[in-house]
Amino acid sequence: MSEAKRAWRRSKGALFALVAAVSLGLGLVVVAVLLITTGLNSWRLVAMRATADAGLSLSLRSLQASTGSQQAYYPYVVLAQVASNSRAEKLGLRQGDALIRVAGQGITRVSAVWEAVEQAPGGRDLRLPIAWVPNSRQLLGELRAEAIPNTPGRFRVVISTLPPGSPAEQAGLQTGDVLLSANDLSIMGTRQAWEAIVIATQRASGPITLQVERDSQILTLPFTAQQQGELTVQRAAWRALWAFVSSLNEPRYPEHAGLASAILGSLYVVFVMAIVAFPLGIGAALYLEEYASRSTLTEILQVLIANLAGVPSVVYGIIGLEILARAAGLGRSILAGGIALALLILPIMILAAREALRTVPPWVREAAYSVGATRWQTVRHHVLPYALPGIFTGMILTLSRAIGEAALLILLGAFLYVTYVPTNLKDSFTVIPLQIFDWATKPQEGFTTIAAAAILVLLGILLILNATAIALRNRFQMRW
Amino acid sequence: MKVPRHGPRGRYVKEGLIRGLLFACGSAAVVITLVTVGTFILGSLPFFQKVSLWEFLTSIRWAPLTIPQSYGVLALMADTLVITAIALIVALPLGILSAVFLSEYASERTRRTLKPLLEILAGIPTVVYGFFALRFITPLLQGIFPEIGFWNGLSAGLVMGFMILPLVASLSEDVLYAVPRSLREGAYALGATKFEVVTRVVIPAAFSGIGAAFILAMSRAIGETMIVALAAGRTPAWPPDPTQPMMALTTTIVNIATGDHEATAFIWSALFAIGLLLFVMTLLLNVASYFIVRRFRERYE
Repeated sequence: MSEAKRAWRRSKGALFALVAAVSLGLGLVVVAVLLITTGLNSWRLVAMRATADAGLSLSLRSLQASTGSQQAYYPYVVLAQVASNSRAEKLGLRQGDALIRVAGQGITRVSAVWEAVEQAPGGRDLRLPIAWVPNSRQLLGELRAEAIPNTPGRFRVVISTLPPGSPAEQAGLQTGDVLLSANDLSIMGTRQAWEAIVIATQRASGPITLQVERDSQILTLPFTAQQQGELTVQRAAWRALWAFVSSLNEPRYPEHAGLASAILGSLYVVFVMAIVAFPLGIGAALYLEEYASRSTLTEILQVLIANLAGVPSVVYGIIGLEILARAAGLGRSILAGGIALALLILPIMILAAREALRTVPPWVREAAYSVGATRWQTVRHHVLPYALPGIFTGMILTLSRAIGEAALLILLGAFLYVTYVPTNLKDSFTVIPLQIFDWATKPQEGFTTIAAAAILVLLGILLILNATAIALRNRFQMRW
Repeated sequence: MKVPRHGPRGRYVKEGLIRGLLFACGSAAVVITLVTVGTFILGSLPFFQKVSLWEFLTSIRWAPLTIPQSYGVLALMADTLVITAIALIVALPLGILSAVFLSEYASERTRRTLKPLLEILAGIPTVVYGFFALRFITPLLQGIFPEIGFWNGLSAGLVMGFMILPLVASLSEDVLYAVPRSLREGAYALGATKFEVVTRVVIPAAFSGIGAAFILAMSRAIGETMIVALAAGRTPAWPPDPTQPMMALTTTIVNIATGDHEATAFIWSALFAIGLLLFVMTLLLNVASYFIVRRFRERYE
């Protein structure tokens, strides 16, 4: 064999080893990247909670307007709710106000507010300069639409009452004025009048020009609609996380939504599952390992159990829906969900418990029999104590499997509507994975962030469970 | 005669009771299987009275709610299989190579650290992978191929590949590791290099076990629900095009079950028909894999 050929023979092996190592690394790296991006995505929760904490609920609206011949949509962010006695309310913000600028950044989408809070320089406590346009009532008072004579279907917008001290009065507007346009946006309706002013303010940096008709004369008035102030917000990561896990779900405003109902739902469902599946699973494992003779029946049982463990969970969901929710009359409740989950977990629990029992060597049993112990005495006093750490490990691992299960429970949970804490086993419920599913499919901004945050919470719980299982295994594992 | 509490007869009664109780636990698996099969057959009877099995399996259009109704699962099956194929294309080479590295090249210490890590990775909930697919992989793919839809089979398949990767790697590693030392040593004695031992002796010897891992991974991918429900969309694609929204069998189940239907509606029986199909498909694959693994074990243990 030539030297070159021999070298190739050697390097081929090294190359192969390298490729094998790289593919293992690739799998791990991809998963790591996915986890890190989720972590980064959930960071925005801090800013979202900061605005929520200050008392704001944000919502995106848009004005459809025609400038010249073009139809365009102008988005703006409105305060859908302002919590009473909050810092925002004390600053003078009211429900229906439009946010124009936060920390110098123009706001045309909800997430821009959170970005601004996130990027504003400063530490934990932040005095955030904001600019807003007060709601229509405060800004312009009462408006009414008047039909224009001889042009059916067209209206003009007239100021009917003007609150004293309002920005409109200060700008020189009077009762009876007809609003025509704000900058280049023409005013065509009572609600749209305020929106046009908001959009014009948003697009111009200073005061805007308002065109009004008074006594058949057209006037041009400079108008400052926007007000300014400093809102105190706190960017506190741990507090944001705590607020997130301890508050109830809020289907409209992601900055207020929390995981409490889902966490409690998960606890209840998994509790029911454990009560049903653990005794049954351990009993079945004991029968198969310690009692059953090697017969055809045992053989069939083994094949069945191994294959039940591989049935897709959504199939168990159908069974749960039909047998438990409908035939047994449990409805889509915690009880039905927990028992259905137990069907899925049972074969896995049996396999894990059998594995643990199998690690106890046969001479332990033989020693017990030789001093006259019955089978149950042997199992109870000699086999079980040694197998128990392994069985516990199996329990914890199946628990973590059950906590992450979504496909089965999606058929039995009422995940869209649960905004309360379930108190009764007959209540409908949601669990953490379902809440993630629900949030991940919502198109509005902010829900991706809380879905990512919920994933971190879920993975945190699973990590703790798995670490406990591994620690148990290492601590109590018998070496024979 | 009074039976003494700790005497032999009381003991036998107690032993018998316990034995019976444990047997009852053990037969729960049989009960579950019977109930499952029974529910599916009874539940899908009304369906197959109206729709013939042939039409169910060969018709392309799945439209249970629009008139004229049509209940063909061919497109759904095709979509499911295309997504599964993408997942396997990702998971098989990577998984088997990872297994070869762990079993043949890695030091015992590396192996003992990485093997539990694989188990932990296999325990990441699938809804998490679904979120990854929808929010990170799809935008990434859209950056490369702009014509890809917001929902598409490709991103679901790729992510599913990484989801089943730990399963493939772990199972293949088990069988590779179980190949007896004597086989390797025999090959080394004949002057083979490590590469030759691995590729010509160890992998062929473990081939049936790796095949079983392949089948199990396939069954897992077919039954996977959350990834496809989140990322693949809810419109069946025919012909199956992974850049377009696809609807898998499992998504169809979720769709029907979460829809707002009357309890007596005919669509519920379609749920059982699809469930039965899924159950049969995965059961066949699982049984096949089970027996392949057992034969492998018998040969070498």
